[in-house]
Amino acid sequence: MKTIAIAGKGGTGKSTTAALIIRWLSERKSRSILAVDADSNVNLNDLLGVRLKETVGAIREEMRNRIADLPGGMTKQQFLEYKIQTSLVEGPHFDLIAMGRPEGPGCYCYANNLLQDILGTLAGNYDYVVIDNEAGMEHLSRRTSQAIDYLLIVSDATARGIATAGKISRLLRELETRVGQRYLILNRVAGPVSNTVEAAIHEEEFSLLATIPEDDTLLKMDREGIPIWSVAASSPARLAVDRMMDSLDP
Amino acid sequence: MSRIIATRAIRGAHKLVARAERELAAAIAEMGPDTRVEFPNTGYYLPISHGILGLRIETLGGLRDLLAEAKELLPPVPSDNLWLPYLGNTLDAGMATLFADEIIEAIKYTRTPLPYLPETHPKDGRLWLGAANDVIMRERGIEFVDNTAPGFAACVGYCPTNEIAVRIARELQEKNLYVFMSAATDGKSMAQQLAEEGIEMGWETRLVPFGDDVTATIHALGFSTRVALSFGGAQPGDYQRVLRYNKNRVFAFVLALGPVDDEKHAQAAGAINYGFPTIADTDIDNILPTGICTYEHVVSPVPHDRIVSKAIEVRGLKISVTKVPIPVPFGPAFQGERIRKEDMYVELAGTEKHGFEYLTGKGSDEVEDGKIEVVGPEIDEVTEGSQLPLALWVEVAGRQMQPDFEPILERRLHDFMNMAHGVFHMGQRDINWVRVSKEAKDQGFRFRHFGSIIHAKIHGEFGKIVDKVQVKIYTREKEVMDLIETARKVYRQRDERLAGLTDEAVETFYSCTLCQSFAPNHVCVITPERSGLCGAYNWLDGKAAHQINPTGPNQPILKAQAVDAIRGQWQGINEFVFNASHKTLQVFSAYSIIDNPMTSCGCFECISCVLPSTNGIMTVYRNFPGMTPSGMKFSTLAGTVGGGLQTPGFIGHSKRYVASSKFISAEGGAKRVVWMNRELKEELEPDLRKIGRREGVENLFEMIADETVAVTEEEVLAHITKMNHPALSMPPLF
Repeated sequence: MKTIAIAGKGGTGKSTTAALIIRWLSERKSRSILAVDADSNVNLNDLLGVRLKETVGAIREEMRNRIADLPGGMTKQQFLEYKIQTSLVEGPHFDLIAMGRPEGPGCYCYANNLLQDILGTLAGNYDYVVIDNEAGMEHLSRRTSQAIDYLLIVSDATARGIATAGKISRLLRELETRVGQRYLILNRVAGPVSNTVEAAIHEEEFSLLATIPEDDTLLKMDREGIPIWSVAASSPARLAVDRMMDSLDP
Repeated sequence: MSRIIATRAIRGAHKLVARAERELAAAIAEMGPDTRVEFPNTGYYLPISHGILGLRIETLGGLRDLLAEAKELLPPVPSDNLWLPYLGNTLDAGMATLFADEIIEAIKYTRTPLPYLPETHPKDGRLWLGAANDVIMRERGIEFVDNTAPGFAACVGYCPTNEIAVRIARELQEKNLYVFMSAATDGKSMAQQLAEEGIEMGWETRLVPFGDDVTATIHALGFSTRVALSFGGAQPGDYQRVLRYNKNRVFAFVLALGPVDDEKHAQAAGAINYGFPTIADTDIDNILPTGICTYEHVVSPVPHDRIVSKAIEVRGLKISVTKVPIPVPFGPAFQGERIRKEDMYVELAGTEKHGFEYLTGKGSDEVEDGKIEVVGPEIDEVTEGSQLPLALWVEVAGRQMQPDFEPILERRLHDFMNMAHGVFHMGQRDINWVRVSKEAKDQGFRFRHFGSIIHAKIHGEFGKIVDKVQVKIYTREKEVMDLIETARKVYRQRDERLAGLTDEAVETFYSCTLCQSFAPNHVCVITPERSGLCGAYNWLDGKAAHQINPTGPNQPILKAQAVDAIRGQWQGINEFVFNASHKTLQVFSAYSIIDNPMTSCGCFECISCVLPSTNGIMTVYRNFPGMTPSGMKFSTLAGTVGGGLQTPGFIGHSKRYVASSKFISAEGGAKRVVWMNRELKEELEPDLRKIGRREGVENLFEMIADETVAVTEEEVLAHITKMNHPALSMPPLF
């Protein structure tokens, strides 16, 4: 199993990049892919063009609220596992699980402890696990994600954006999450990358994996609610992601 | 005690001792008393007389001592007017028989040519092998110790047909048992029947023909006597230890096939001394009460198709299936494997079809061990991608089986099924879901193999309580729906029984140290009537978590001696808490808010604390943001209670604990509650009303103040005084 985590602050086009990466993997590598939508503004499923059944967060809430009357004398471990396994969206090209909204007040030690086990085991069944993380990296910090082979941080081509990407990268170092290779992706790049941005990249000690150009087709599809999955092979953004993945060769 | 059996056994013993006396006198007259006697190639003396009596017999003359012992033991034949002969006499007659057998067999070895083959298997048309030599003893005896072979079946007589003889022999071999054959009846023996059918015999195949004489049966008991001496650490002459070792460790029994004469009755009586029961296919009466043997002593008549399983059951033999007989790899490594839709051949139950799994205890006669039936289509009769209903109906029988074990065994079906590579199982009861992969199907995996897995694993893991397992697998809607209601009824009964589970009814509680990462000295003790304070963990969860991860944060704690049953203090719990709290807490009360109350991590759903002037307590739920009558908000209270500190008058607990009959029961329970935040109070209304009725305080619910009527302690006091709340008349809290 190889884990690819895609991170970045909201609005950088991180989920779109994730969708294109999943598409590349399923065509070039293997269809044994688990896509994990770990962003609380669940939308990866829309980009991939599949319908979501239930989020892990909702299941966790249900379990917490049904403490006294879990069905069938089940233990919580079994209930949670059953629900999560059934919530999995199974597509021909990948399976998808969505983490959903973060936890409310109250104690989540127990539920998260169970989740860590269940998700860890589930992930082990796949050749590739692609995690679309939210900026706060809740699931990474909660250790609901396992070791990461490739961390791809997506940023826009601004000095401020790269500083934010740097913060995310440092946060992960502090969390002692095991990360194999760490790269920066510049997204929605219009024109050449400026010197300030290059300096910022250098300062944050990032190695730049790829620049993905601004792509009007994608913007249009997004506006019209058409899944990014179905983007034409000639789309400049898709071409850039394909090239990037060819060179990364995970 | 069967008079018939006793009489016949004693009569048989008399005949055999008389025969031994006759043959010994003749042999001594012919060859002289100094003629050497021994079983060839053995470094031992004659095993029975050496093991049981400590005699070292080396000559024909020496056999006289053994004869004297036999005659000494021989009881009189019961007279016709003695209706209840004593078992002890029968046992003595049995032992005398064994001595006589040994004399007769030892004399045979003084003759030339030797009466038995020196080989380990039949040869050149000759069948009988006689006593085991030392090489066999070393190679084979050890198998009785390391459980490679659980024991042996001493088969005497013959079967009605050769085919039955072969079937019984095969069945015994499948259970890894040795088959020791001796004692022809009317010139016919089981060994001859097997020979006629061309069955390969010998020590190598575990089918051992000892001899056609009834006395050759002694080579079976001689063998097990030597096992006790060589591997059981028994000293020669320490007959108690020799016999007890055999009873406890060598799972042997006698199969009496065909007519049973007096002499064979006598052999059976001898075997009973070793704890080996006799099972007969003819009606020879029964000795049912337990005593010397683990269960019954003599059982008859038993039909041939059930005689092996009956014998195994009566002897208390536990069958272990070491290799699960399925065509796909099997082991814990395959647990957690999800069969992806793309790789799946068939899906059973789940969200699309009905399904359930059910395990129940049955009478031993109702269960045929290893029987597996598939009702409805098999996997190779459905197309790829099919979705089918599923009922797994498991019936077990065992002398030690109890209804309480049913759900425990049933819950393990999940683990067992998941161990098969290519099988995915989720859930339990009537929420279950199974997938089988294309790969597994191609390798020959069939639905019936669910049964093979369950059969093998239940024997393996629950051998102590289960003797027999049979499995029915239904894959047709009609049958599944017909049976599901029966199962659901039982599920409900089990839940009710579980709901009634009390702290007194269990020996162990479970610890929870999941939260020690931020409250290092805190330890939760979870009891059936007090769930973890976070509300997430109940006793069963603790138990289940421990089974899944034996070294994890949930450990069983033996309650041991109660120190104070009212406050809920036990020696075992105190010791555990002392260590687990890094020696900060000495005493721990499960049921008291005043005296050494249980500590909290910080995860509590509720906090209860004493309101001194009311002689009662208030309880607040964690999401109540307002001021409480204690003068503190939840957040401030949490600082007082959390972090593993023991603060008399304050506890953190789960919502459900309020409804428990053990809720601060040392101080009088829930009728101490004088204030609750409204939301919590309303949620617990049914419970509070029930408690009120139980305690004879009909309107307890109304008596309890909430933030709509009281936010200060004074206002609470005023409210409860007006309502005549029972706390006011209860003993002082301090």
